[in-house]
Amino acid sequence: METIVRIPTPLRTLTKGNDEVAAAGATVAELIEDLERNYPGMRDRLLDEKGVRRFINVFVGDEDIRFLDGLATGLKDGDRVTIVPAIAGGRA
Amino acid sequence: MIGLDGTVLIVGAGGIGAPVGLALVAAGVRNFLVADDDRVEATNLHRQVLFAEAELGEPKAEAFARAIERLPSPTGGARVEVYGARALPENVLDLVDRADVVVDATDNFASRFLLADAARIRGVPIVHAAAVRLLATVMASAPEGAPCYRCVFEDIPDGLAQDCATSGILGPVCGVSGAIAAELALRILGVVRRPAFGALWTFDGATDRLRTVPVRRRDACPLCGPKRSLVTIDEARYEGPDCSSR
Repeated sequence: METIVRIPTPLRTLTKGNDEVAAAGATVAELIEDLERNYPGMRDRLLDEKGVRRFINVFVGDEDIRFLDGLATGLKDGDRVTIVPAIAGGRA
Repeated sequence: MIGLDGTVLIVGAGGIGAPVGLALVAAGVRNFLVADDDRVEATNLHRQVLFAEAELGEPKAEAFARAIERLPSPTGGARVEVYGARALPENVLDLVDRADVVVDATDNFASRFLLADAARIRGVPIVHAAAVRLLATVMASAPEGAPCYRCVFEDIPDGLAQDCATSGILGPVCGVSGAIAAELALRILGVVRRPAFGALWTFDGATDRLRTVPVRRRDACPLCGPKRSLVTIDEARYEGPDCSSR
């Protein structure tokens, strides 16, 4: 099963500048492992020992996976996964 | 409805604060309070569009106030009160108390969470606007109820997150972030009759995508959840990188 993942600009250094990549997995956890295989370093940018890093939001369609099943959230063909990190610039 | 006489507190008179001020004055907002302790630098000028070369070295909040008060306005002009310091645990509640709407245009996570907490504790609506490289995010939180900034971003991140300490900023992306923030502030003031809360806006300047996703209350949120525990400002909670000298 293939899912399109939207990559935010801060993580595009890992995807050779691609803003969207395809990844495989029946759940979000499997999807992240597939991202890690193809784009080493991605897992560490998204996860810590407790799960999804607290400043990272992962959406399946329009739903934050916090309100679904977290990393166990199931994926189906055609789903779009979006990663939104917290950012803080603007004043300086 | 608060209306155009409401006071908008802009924290951060830089790359995002400038477009917020421009748009709100043009819409007729009359009263501003601007907080910033920084001075105008040459490297700011490409994105901090209210400042001129002649103002290099001057306090940003004062230069911001002069520029805003010179702008044409359909309501006869704006009045800006200058607060020449940054929002800190010891002054943030007093600052927020003076506002009807807060716009968080700061450049570091500690200030963002501090303002989010203070606004909720005092029951003042807040718009958080950020930009790093080609990405902008904006979110407004209501004076009460959910969701709030901590529902979405939880707590001050570790070193892998991006802020002024680690990333550059493209000027026009600041403009987009500030324009969206101004629009949400106008919705909160009641000038624009559309919902302001419950969505996270993202703009990706690399793909030209503007997107909103709905956000919801996180049950474990300490700021607005059912077991709310964050009801005071504790300085130790807001330790983070200081960008003021960068």
